[in-house]
Amino acid sequence: MTMTKIEAIIQTSKLEAVKEALHEIGVEGMTVLEVRGHGRQKGHTEVYRGREYTVDLIPKIKIEIVLADDIVERSVQAIVTAARTGKIGDGKIFITHVDDAIRIRNDERGESAL
Amino acid sequence: MPANPSLANELRDQYLRETARLHREFAATGDGRAAVTARTALVESIALRLWNECVSPDSAGPAGLALAALGGFGRRWLFPHSDVDILLLHESDSGIARFKDATRRFTQDLWDLRFRLSPATRTLSECERFDPENLEFVMSLLDCRYLAGDRRLFERLHGTVMPRLVAGEAQQIIKRLAELTRARHAKFGNTVFHLEPNLKDGPGGLRDYNVACWLALISGMESLRGWPAEGAPLPMSVRIPFNSALAFLMSVRCFLHFRHMRDDNSLSWDAQEEAAMQRIGAPGGPALSASAWMRIYFGHSRMIYRVCTQLLEENTSARPSLFREFQSLRSRLSNAEFSVVGNLVFLRQPAGLSDPQMVLRTFRFLARHGLSLSSSAESQIEQALPALAADPPRGAELWHLLQEILLAPHAADALRSMHSLRLLTLLLPEFRLIDSLVVRDYSHRFTVDEHSFVAIENLHALRQSQSKWDQRYAELLDELEQPDLLYLSLLLHDVGKGAESDNHVQSSVEIAGACLDRLELDAPDREAVLFLIGRHLEMSAALRRDIFDPETVRAFAEKVETPEHLKMLCLLTYADIKAVNPEALTPWKAENIWQLYIAAANYLNRSLDQRLHIDSHDEVMEHLRTLAPAAGKKLEGFLEGLPRRYLLTHPASEVLAHLEMAGQLGRDPVQVALRRGRHWYELTVVTPDRPFLFSKMAGALAAWGMNIVKAAAFSNQSGTVVDTFYFTDRFRTLELNLPEWERFKSSIHDVLLGKADLERMLRDRMRSDKSRPQKIKVQTKIEFDDSCSAHSTLVEVIAQDQPGLLHRISSTFAHEQCNIEIALIETEGQTAIDVFYLTSAGAKLSAAHQTRLLQALLKELGS
Repeated sequence: MTMTKIEAIIQTSKLEAVKEALHEIGVEGMTVLEVRGHGRQKGHTEVYRGREYTVDLIPKIKIEIVLADDIVERSVQAIVTAARTGKIGDGKIFITHVDDAIRIRNDERGESAL
Repeated sequence: MPANPSLANELRDQYLRETARLHREFAATGDGRAAVTARTALVESIALRLWNECVSPDSAGPAGLALAALGGFGRRWLFPHSDVDILLLHESDSGIARFKDATRRFTQDLWDLRFRLSPATRTLSECERFDPENLEFVMSLLDCRYLAGDRRLFERLHGTVMPRLVAGEAQQIIKRLAELTRARHAKFGNTVFHLEPNLKDGPGGLRDYNVACWLALISGMESLRGWPAEGAPLPMSVRIPFNSALAFLMSVRCFLHFRHMRDDNSLSWDAQEEAAMQRIGAPGGPALSASAWMRIYFGHSRMIYRVCTQLLEENTSARPSLFREFQSLRSRLSNAEFSVVGNLVFLRQPAGLSDPQMVLRTFRFLARHGLSLSSSAESQIEQALPALAADPPRGAELWHLLQEILLAPHAADALRSMHSLRLLTLLLPEFRLIDSLVVRDYSHRFTVDEHSFVAIENLHALRQSQSKWDQRYAELLDELEQPDLLYLSLLLHDVGKGAESDNHVQSSVEIAGACLDRLELDAPDREAVLFLIGRHLEMSAALRRDIFDPETVRAFAEKVETPEHLKMLCLLTYADIKAVNPEALTPWKAENIWQLYIAAANYLNRSLDQRLHIDSHDEVMEHLRTLAPAAGKKLEGFLEGLPRRYLLTHPASEVLAHLEMAGQLGRDPVQVALRRGRHWYELTVVTPDRPFLFSKMAGALAAWGMNIVKAAAFSNQSGTVVDTFYFTDRFRTLELNLPEWERFKSSIHDVLLGKADLERMLRDRMRSDKSRPQKIKVQTKIEFDDSCSAHSTLVEVIAQDQPGLLHRISSTFAHEQCNIEIALIETEGQTAIDVFYLTSAGAKLSAAHQTRLLQALLKELGS
């Protein structure tokens, strides 16, 4: 069976909901990164004491998970459902193929290393 | 292939069998010292047998070659999986070639027995030279011990070469040792209080024990030009606890080695649990919890670290060098009470320690100058503690002394020193709850007490930081009216973690409340500290929401209530996160905290429309009614229509004082109060509202040469204004001339009644005043906002701060028929940041009116 990597960029406020949704379908392992970026969502400017503070790159959370193929679609749906607000800035999901995975502790390879 | 396979097998079997026996014995007794001594004897006997087999059948031979144990092996401290360090000492270079095959077989056979052998081959003359890049070798020679071979050759090394080398190079050796030790300490954050400490290399570990012994030994050898009779001459006062700490650490390291089956010295959480269950190093008695056992560990580790750092300081202080010349400048800090040598403080009058104030003044001195106590000073303070415990300082006296320590730039180190000597827990028993407390959290690196000290340190470090983020936060810190309350909050914010509770925040509030009562903090100060402790996770929680969502900002700002609370909470959040571990405050988080801060600050400045109404069920109003039941309708009449901000920024005592002033308006229509605050003077005027009122007050202050740094002007429904100006006395008029206080108040009074010529006063002041040099040119910016208030137009003016600025701005408002409903004035360096809520004829300013006002302001201020 082949493996797939999901990279999901979501709003910071949606992290707990997405984590919980993934746990509910049995996905436990994930990597969480604090990132910045934007798509069509505009930046934010706040004027404080006469100075402008502009944030072009909005803070987001990126979740990376590598899964067996048979659970990918359910995982994507779980993320989408939990992260969606319907507004610009909800984020995106990218899916790529993974050639191999290795568990460092004991050299296990392939799906059993996940 | 070993030279003698059957001997190799025999020795391997012996080694495995004996190692297993040592392991069983250790499991039964937990005695680390016995275990390392026994392993040393085992390895030594095997090494000697191989020496006889490979090098010389006579253990005293051959001539010209000696075998010595170095380092831990030399000290008879071979831990179950530590390296075996040996020295093959040759008379001359020719000996190296002559004995090459024999010594190679010898070392190879030892390797084959799975010893982690570290052999060093040297000639005697090579041992005479000190190589600063190889300090380890010289240090290992300090523990060298004869094993086999040419004893006379070894004695020449031990009896002649070593003493001569050490005596001659003592300064260099100590300097290099100090450099490496301090670098190692810095790698571990200069603290013993890690949640998973490294027993060998971490501060307060076995390496520090060795460093302390080496420093004492080198110092002794330098004086004696030979070996001291009784080994490393450590200070008498520390020998017993020092050896007790060593015994503990030995047992724990043996436990770790046997547990991990390798040279792993990391005291992980799992290992802590197991060590506690087995009471490693602390035999006898019921099973301990991991946190209780770790407290024992930290007690020993802290002690070793203290002695090591003190000896480092004392030994490096005594030696002349360019650095020492610089440090001798510190000696100029000496005064009648304290003598400073290098970085160490000595007490000139130790008998004075019977006075608790003297004890705390000592730590204030440390905190101000970044110094450490000498071992003699520590010992003297320790001896004074029982008397201090019998009658400790308390109340306002104690709080005043603590304030001075907390505000000093090296507060964290002084607090650590107080904590190490048990003084801090004597003065603040609540702190005992988190003494050396390990809380299992993968993100936290330090124990809870150390985390609090690091947080305080983080704030003080802001002013020296070059980072863009730190400089922004440093500006906020400089704006605080009472930073001491913030530091106190940081000290106590996690005490609740030591209580048996699911909610450490609530517990911290309760425990801190008792502490603050004992310190007799004023009610507003007490409330501020409890607010910060109670809300210390609020900003972090808000960061997990969408910080650009106005609803998130509103909800957060309403919990915070005032700009001063907001600033303190922002700085507390910054310091708290940064103290979790060095990587915790990522640029991502720092930026988000800042964005949330400015959004909330803007919200607070633009939401002053919430007015008080006497028929509302407001907690603060109820509280006031309770305090002044006789005031009745007068209180309600005074408060009706004032912005809620007024109640949030003035404690009950001040509100009642203002009410009293309002009650006197029938007798005198201008009531003036003046007091000296911690940073500024505070002028409060209560009077009926009228045109040009605010500008006259600002002008009068400017005419007296006062620099207005903050102001808040409010008016109630019946048209009574309460205006408070916070100012600095540029020419020290009030400070140096007490009678001027009354003249100043009378002058303000007369200006507001039109009895004094304000314009003439201002002209006279401008003539005599030299303008301040402008370090930074500030561009004037004026912004109008109609959306943040239902009744007023908000005008924000950012301009170059200069004398008379506020008078000019407010005069322009008055000339343009604008009434100031609310004014919030702040100064940031040379930038004046003034926010006004204006009305004209009781309504917002029309677009045309705003345009006229803008032009008038630009003309007055210059664009």
